[in-house]
Amino acid sequence: MKAEFSQTLEKIGKRDKDFVFLTGDLGFNAFENIMQTFGKRFINAGVAEQNMVSVAAGMARMGLQPWVYSIATFLTLKTFEQVRNDVCFLNLPVKLVGNGGGYGYGIMGETHHALEDLAIYTSLENLTCYVPAFSEDVPTIMQKMYKSKSPAYLRLTNVPKTQIKLPIYAPLRKIASGNEVTIVALGPLVHEVLPLINNNNIDLFCISELPVTYSLDRLITSVKKTKRLLILEEHRREGGMGEKVLSRLINHSVAINKVIHLYANGYPSGLYGSRGFHLEENMLNSSGVKKALQSIHE
Amino acid sequence: MGKRNKKNLQKKLNKKLLKLLYNAKAGHIGCCLSCMDILIETFLFQMGKKDKFIFSKGHAVPALYIILNELGELSDKELVTFHKDGTKLLAHPPKDLSEITLFPTGSLGHGLSLAAGVAHAMKFKNKSKSRVYCLISDGECNEGQVWEAAQYAAHHKLDNLVVLVDNNGLQAIAKTEDVLGDSSTKEKWDAFGFETFVADGHSFDELEKTFRTFKKSKNDAPKIIICNTIKGYGVSFMENTVESHYTILTKELYEQAIADINKKYES
Repeated sequence: MKAEFSQTLEKIGKRDKDFVFLTGDLGFNAFENIMQTFGKRFINAGVAEQNMVSVAAGMARMGLQPWVYSIATFLTLKTFEQVRNDVCFLNLPVKLVGNGGGYGYGIMGETHHALEDLAIYTSLENLTCYVPAFSEDVPTIMQKMYKSKSPAYLRLTNVPKTQIKLPIYAPLRKIASGNEVTIVALGPLVHEVLPLINNNNIDLFCISELPVTYSLDRLITSVKKTKRLLILEEHRREGGMGEKVLSRLINHSVAINKVIHLYANGYPSGLYGSRGFHLEENMLNSSGVKKALQSIHE
Repeated sequence: MGKRNKKNLQKKLNKKLLKLLYNAKAGHIGCCLSCMDILIETFLFQMGKKDKFIFSKGHAVPALYIILNELGELSDKELVTFHKDGTKLLAHPPKDLSEITLFPTGSLGHGLSLAAGVAHAMKFKNKSKSRVYCLISDGECNEGQVWEAAQYAAHHKLDNLVVLVDNNGLQAIAKTEDVLGDSSTKEKWDAFGFETFVADGHSFDELEKTFRTFKKSKNDAPKIIICNTIKGYGVSFMENTVESHYTILTKELYEQAIADINKKYES
């Protein structure tokens, strides 16, 4: 998704004289186009994320349009107070971009895994979190972020290209239709379900924006029909997408026979590996979803 | 304005400050008194119309309220609501206080970064004649973010950024030098690439001279004035005490404080 991000950013920046890009000394082999195109408006703010976010807030308060980039964990955990006090209190248009959502940084380990970012960021006022599922979502989401006068957080994760026909981007999208079970996946995890849709009669939904401020009617209708719900998210259970969706279903008094919630449970074996390894350990890959589908029918 | 008139201003504004704090039963009195003279010189005599101010040592906001009131930015009617239920004037700078002060503060260490962002934005927007001032405290220099911001400001040659350190030598529960050592020395700021000045923060002569000097400077480094101050300045029982961070004025203490101020600034 980094390539789409960088191309779209170049387009946005060329149109807007107030555009500024700040990176926390990251983006080797990814942002050279931005550096060349924007000269002084490309700022390597160094390995100093707290300062970078507050500087961006100062710039936004003076009318600039800063985009701030770092690894997702560094940009959400280390800078939480700066985002809360300096950006969100004033509802400033600072756009935060974190690469490596979930286990995206694989073998780099837990210091680089963003498993709590959405829990803490969705607790802030004025901030919208975007979790693109497909590379094609990135330009659409970025235009939406750019047009908004409020702060936003974009969580990037590398995903494979897909051959399926994509519905138009929306915070909640129906990706496939079925009658037996409803699956709702957060952003990129939809790719782990795609190989299973033909044989399992799945009503598949994808969520790409948090908090849930939009209608879940289509999802609610689906759950009322299937009475079985499987939730998938590459994030801790507490404060994640699953809890938010379930609370909405409870508010609508939706009767469900069985719910399985698969989420990032850290490091169950105490061992480390690629993103694929961690998805498998947490039953968040295709084979994990397949097992969950078997038990949801039991 | 002559020396005598500035002295009258000191007397008037310090008395107004003490009255405000007494009526509100509010603390942080020592912190306000140590930076009041810096604020008088900066806001009332040095700042240009388009200049900005980031009040990073947010807990001294009553002194800022008094200054904004003097400037006509804050009405008497609003000022008396300070610290009371339902007020907009809380014990740290609120988010919509004025178009001069720009940011809510209260958690130490953010202000210098915010000011660096404002200064950098002024450069991008070609507002080369505007400056941004930032008041920090010496205790605040314990914060790592201050030094992240210092590197950023120096590297980007933000010569329109002016840092004012209220260097009163005391932080919340101890002497600054006993906590983590002197956190805001000239040597440190020089080493970080600032054009550093040291002045008596209660001497208008020295402050004025320093402002004159850096305003003429051709050096493209960000500026800093380490203002040596006395916590609780002007009130005998508060000067240089840790307690002045917390003391709430009783009627007797208030009357004594006013008598001290009257005596100190006798015409």
